[in-house]
Amino acid sequence: MRLKQRRLHGAGVGLRLPHIAEVVATRPPIGWFEVHPENFLANPHATELLSELSQHYPISVHTVGVSIGSLSGIDRSHLKRVRALIDMVDPILVSGHLAWSTHAGDYLNDLLPLPYDEEALQLLAAHIHEVQEGLGRPYLVENPSSYVGFGMSTMNEVDFLGELVRLTGCQLLCDLSNVHLSAHNMGYDAYQYIDGLPADAIGELHLGGFTYEDDEANPGAELLVDTHATVVAEPAWDLYAYAIRRFGPKPTLIEWDNNIPPLAILLGEAARADEVAAQAIAPEARRAAAR
Amino acid sequence: MPLLADTQRRLRRAVVTGDAAGIERLLVGGRRAGKRLAIHQRQYETSLVTALLGKFPATAWLVGTPFVVEAATRFVRERPPNAPCIAEYGGDFPSYLSTCPGAERVPYLQGFAQLEWHLGHVAVAVDCTAVTLREFSRIDVDVLPEARLTLQAGLRYLPASWPIDNLMKLYLTNTAPDQLSLARCDVWIEIRGARGEFQINRLEAGEFTFRKAVLEGRSIGDAAERAMESNAAFEPGRALAALATDGLVTAITLGAHGDKS
Repeated sequence: MRLKQRRLHGAGVGLRLPHIAEVVATRPPIGWFEVHPENFLANPHATELLSELSQHYPISVHTVGVSIGSLSGIDRSHLKRVRALIDMVDPILVSGHLAWSTHAGDYLNDLLPLPYDEEALQLLAAHIHEVQEGLGRPYLVENPSSYVGFGMSTMNEVDFLGELVRLTGCQLLCDLSNVHLSAHNMGYDAYQYIDGLPADAIGELHLGGFTYEDDEANPGAELLVDTHATVVAEPAWDLYAYAIRRFGPKPTLIEWDNNIPPLAILLGEAARADEVAAQAIAPEARRAAAR
Repeated sequence: MPLLADTQRRLRRAVVTGDAAGIERLLVGGRRAGKRLAIHQRQYETSLVTALLGKFPATAWLVGTPFVVEAATRFVRERPPNAPCIAEYGGDFPSYLSTCPGAERVPYLQGFAQLEWHLGHVAVAVDCTAVTLREFSRIDVDVLPEARLTLQAGLRYLPASWPIDNLMKLYLTNTAPDQLSLARCDVWIEIRGARGEFQINRLEAGEFTFRKAVLEGRSIGDAAERAMESNAAFEPGRALAALATDGLVTAITLGAHGDKS
């Protein structure tokens, strides 16, 4: 039996391997799950369980190994493996990162920063076309968590993302925690960043925990690090409410990848996302009803 | 103005080796942006070292976590992953470990780590429906020697010069004595697993050779000949029946035409 419901309702959570058996056994009340295909491609047993879950929950596929920013090109054999998984679980969304992670055959297991200039723009546009063609679906591109930028950049991140949307027809995955973190680290206004994004292109939102460290580049200051190892911080919730008001309700994911807590904690964070979204749009709804 | 190729080459070097000299002047972010590269260096190194430790807990038990951490740290710097699935990274770590200073005191270290690597992989395999002995009996005995068998995905065969299977069982059952004396001896190990479970079986040389050859795609006749070379008393009929009754065969391919059963 294929899942009949093809829309994402409410918040979802990232499904990581430590939780998969529990999710299969208990079928928790959650709108949807997001998976990293790279966690499943070498794990036939987990893939079998994911296939079963895809009959009961909408699935979003979030790639961490499709390196659209690498000059060495898209790894086509990896793309084919991702395609096979996608064909199996029939995800409602497929996404990846504005970043690069491969170089001359080395896979660096990180999301590395790009200069925002014409050369990078054309490269990424070509690669997004290739990925969308290879996967047979639209691809959502996620804004990065930034610690450094490049002096050679000729445009800001918002304009770069907007150009990618224009050139490729891709959608955007806006990670609000990344926006807050990057704005803090790089010294810009997170709310202006949200205002600058093309609202029509926003297909999904992410929220994840970050941690604070001493900033060696600015002695005495703090740096935010995208660890996905804790609960979502208050400033990110505030930004999320602002984003909901600007973009409207969007599928929202709670990400947690390190020091993974009991599933109930994740479900609690997802419930909070639903509450924040409901409160954020309530005044808009009241205004609309009054008109 | 550096091109993207040069920028990525320099950043790759900074992340993998820690040499940020070629990239720092290109960066912005804080008063000394280059310092922030430590976050990317740490993500690369820590995530991969943690992944390796997660795959080799028994090896860390055997030789100590500091030894494995030090070896893993050097390994990730010298041999970055070449594919995005980190679960597939580390297949050559056992041989790398055996070259590390101090490893000469543990001559069974490579074999033990290889056994652990295989356990991790067979445990996530998925079993298929097995061919029954009755289905085998329907095959004309004249064509049987040319037949090739497909075995379950969660099977590995590992020869060793030390009783690493017994050592692994001590770890798995948490029954290791304070001191243990290991004597060199040839062992032939079958590792079988699926859906989170695994088992370690010791085989005799002929049966090991037969099963390994079959797994590698050799015909039944060829595999039997190899098995008899390693053990003159090897009985092909009994070994073939055991393969079937153990539920290891998932498909039979007959003759040159490749007809599958």
